[in-house]
Amino acid sequence: MNRKLLILVGPVAGIAMFIAVVWIATVFVSHNEYRDTYRAPVAAVDATPREAGVTAEAAAADTKAKATPYAEVEYRTFPIFGSRVAIWAVAQLHLLFAAFVLAVPIFALIVEAIGYKTGDLRYDRLAHEFTKLLSVSFSLTATFGAFLTFMLIALYPKFTNYMMSVFSPTFLPYVLLFFFEAFFLYTYYYGWGKFHPLVHLGLGLGLNLVGTSIMLIANAWLTFMMSPRGVSDNGAVLSVWDAINNYTWMPINVHRVIANVAFGGSVAAAYAAVKFLQAETDEDRAHYDWMGYIGNFVAISAFLPLPFAGYWLAKEIYAYSQTLGLTMMGGAFSWLFIIQAVLIGNLFLAANYYLWLGMGRVEGVQPLQKFIKYLLAAVTLCFMVWATPRSIIATVSELRAMGGSTHPVLGYFGVMSAKNTAVNILILTTFMSFLLYRRTGKTATVSWAKAGHAAQLAIFAAAAFIVIFLGVYGYFVEATVRIKLSVPQVSSVLFAMISITAIDVFLFRGAKRTGEVQWGRIPAISQYVLIFIAVTFTWLMGLMGYVRSGLRQHWHVYGVMRDHSVDAFTPTLGFATKVVSVTVLMFFVLIGIVFWIASLHDRLDYQPRTKA
Amino acid sequence: MTVPVLVRIGALVVATTCFYMYVGQMVPQKEVQPPAEVVLKTDLSPPEMAKVGRQIMEGKGFCLTCHTIGKTEGPYRFPDLANVAVRAKTREPGLSDVEYFAQAMYEPNAFIVPGFNPGMPTINRPPIGLTDPEILCVIAYLQTLGGTTTVTMQTKHHYNSGASTTAAPAEAPAAPAATPAAAAGKAGGQ
Repeated sequence: MNRKLLILVGPVAGIAMFIAVVWIATVFVSHNEYRDTYRAPVAAVDATPREAGVTAEAAAADTKAKATPYAEVEYRTFPIFGSRVAIWAVAQLHLLFAAFVLAVPIFALIVEAIGYKTGDLRYDRLAHEFTKLLSVSFSLTATFGAFLTFMLIALYPKFTNYMMSVFSPTFLPYVLLFFFEAFFLYTYYYGWGKFHPLVHLGLGLGLNLVGTSIMLIANAWLTFMMSPRGVSDNGAVLSVWDAINNYTWMPINVHRVIANVAFGGSVAAAYAAVKFLQAETDEDRAHYDWMGYIGNFVAISAFLPLPFAGYWLAKEIYAYSQTLGLTMMGGAFSWLFIIQAVLIGNLFLAANYYLWLGMGRVEGVQPLQKFIKYLLAAVTLCFMVWATPRSIIATVSELRAMGGSTHPVLGYFGVMSAKNTAVNILILTTFMSFLLYRRTGKTATVSWAKAGHAAQLAIFAAAAFIVIFLGVYGYFVEATVRIKLSVPQVSSVLFAMISITAIDVFLFRGAKRTGEVQWGRIPAISQYVLIFIAVTFTWLMGLMGYVRSGLRQHWHVYGVMRDHSVDAFTPTLGFATKVVSVTVLMFFVLIGIVFWIASLHDRLDYQPRTKA
Repeated sequence: MTVPVLVRIGALVVATTCFYMYVGQMVPQKEVQPPAEVVLKTDLSPPEMAKVGRQIMEGKGFCLTCHTIGKTEGPYRFPDLANVAVRAKTREPGLSDVEYFAQAMYEPNAFIVPGFNPGMPTINRPPIGLTDPEILCVIAYLQTLGGTTTVTMQTKHHYNSGASTTAAPAEAPAAPAATPAAAAGKAGGQ
């Protein structure tokens, strides 16, 4: 250790120890004065021999226990943390690992298929490397799933019993699917290179289908709790299918598939980043740079349509119950969406930053780099608008000066018209960064190149204009009209992304290379950005998991089964974010172990030392 | 001194997580308690009923999440309730203000105020689940918004058919919770 540091630490530690000794001595002297040992008066002493007394007490306890009738327990308490926090943490960890286990096979299959189609072995190696992370994660997912089930049975027996009575027909298929999942996963992993490529791709497809089916069943249980259907007012089951196919089931299914891919991609990119930072050869750096890029590409590609799936989910929540919808957006949870805006804004900023850094890999990047400052300005501006709350926390004098809790200028940015506009422009900007990155080092050579560029620019400008125009128009119309404006906003952005990509594919077919991509030639900070994105995604999943579950407030099953436990209240957002943070840290410790175990695969076999 | 890569990564993970936790501490902190269970007395006076009605609207009824009282500028998600007692007397031909308020809560989609979307839940059923006496108290408060309270705990209307004369256990107004479209008027109503 540094000598100067040691010189400094020595006296500080000495002073600290001295203070501790003085304090301990003071406590003993002031609180522990001498007293005679207490002895019971002779008259009060029970003359029964100790052994006989102990036997009699045990017999009495036994008799009492036998006489006590069996009674159903509604709740049990988890020590120290309480039942809710315990269930919350375990469920969150289970879901994070499940999301990872469901997502990785999706893009492993896609990458493997690209490798098969193009004959490029790099893709095959990449898909295999992604899959290496699966087997340990699968075990952890199953372990946390079992842990969660036992915790529910032990801590919330009445509620669990009710859920079992509603969904018992789904349990056998669920377990059977789990067997199939294990079969496909292990044959897919251990069978790498052992089958014909099409057979292996078939195994990957089976893995994805089974995994998605498992998720659909589990989603039915949790969405039923939020938007129950198929039961009477007092909870009697009328239709199991209706209970499964409740209002929020399909939106959650779609939202989760997309979000899982985004999350899985980000964690896989983080894995590549860790390996890149530890790599000792240029070859390894090049490989892990590429792997990180692919993982991040998958993550951001899935992330871009995610807000649209979120809109649909929110719409269905409102359709099911305005009460629930307004609790989410206008009530106890409204400030949670400001935290969400900070997270998503950071994700957009980081994703764009990574792409801009990535342009440095390619020679001849200079012509495109001049656009980055405009993109950065657009992203920052949209981030600021999105994170602006409608009501501002202020002192009494500030409130008086503003004439209410809404700022006379900034208040206009706190409403949905502004936020919808901001998020759509954010998506368009990030899409533009992708497009610029894709074009780096290439020049279109097709005869209609000029017209193609002009068409792309026109579509982009038209989409941006529609989004901004409708955003401003929303301030001047009734709520009934305003709510519907988000549909054309979203549609124009989706149309722009699809049509511009389609044009781009043909435009750059057979393009002239003006610079080669040099994988591995990227600043190390880019790899920390990938890790930052993974942590932010994970935290975002934890937060949104909380709002989905917490929205029910004092109901186990909304409007059907009330929560009578001591944890029936809705905690503060500060408390919720602490629980989310601890869970996220636990996840990263565990995923670190997964990475380490996966890395053992590549180590040399143990060689016992032999005596010469 | 070179910091090992794994230590740097660990520090980044912890710092990022702590940053978001810090953001979580910066927003308003509110703990929402579930509605407490109490019994409404049957001999409440009209002013007492109005007072209880206001508490129900802020709490168990979840009314004021959607409805405002005295908001002067749009946008309005649901109708503002200022002077609602005046409008309620003539809103639907053949319905008195009490009958109109009762219809708004027991059968909220029977009439939607032009310019607004349906969205108000049925107030006497879960998850809101106000009892008949509680709904009478809410009506009592709504009558004070531009008028005077005329209902009593014994008032009968189309939907309670004498139920208000019994001492039904009711869940009292609780800590102001997030408030969905509830007791004080139909979605789009008033």
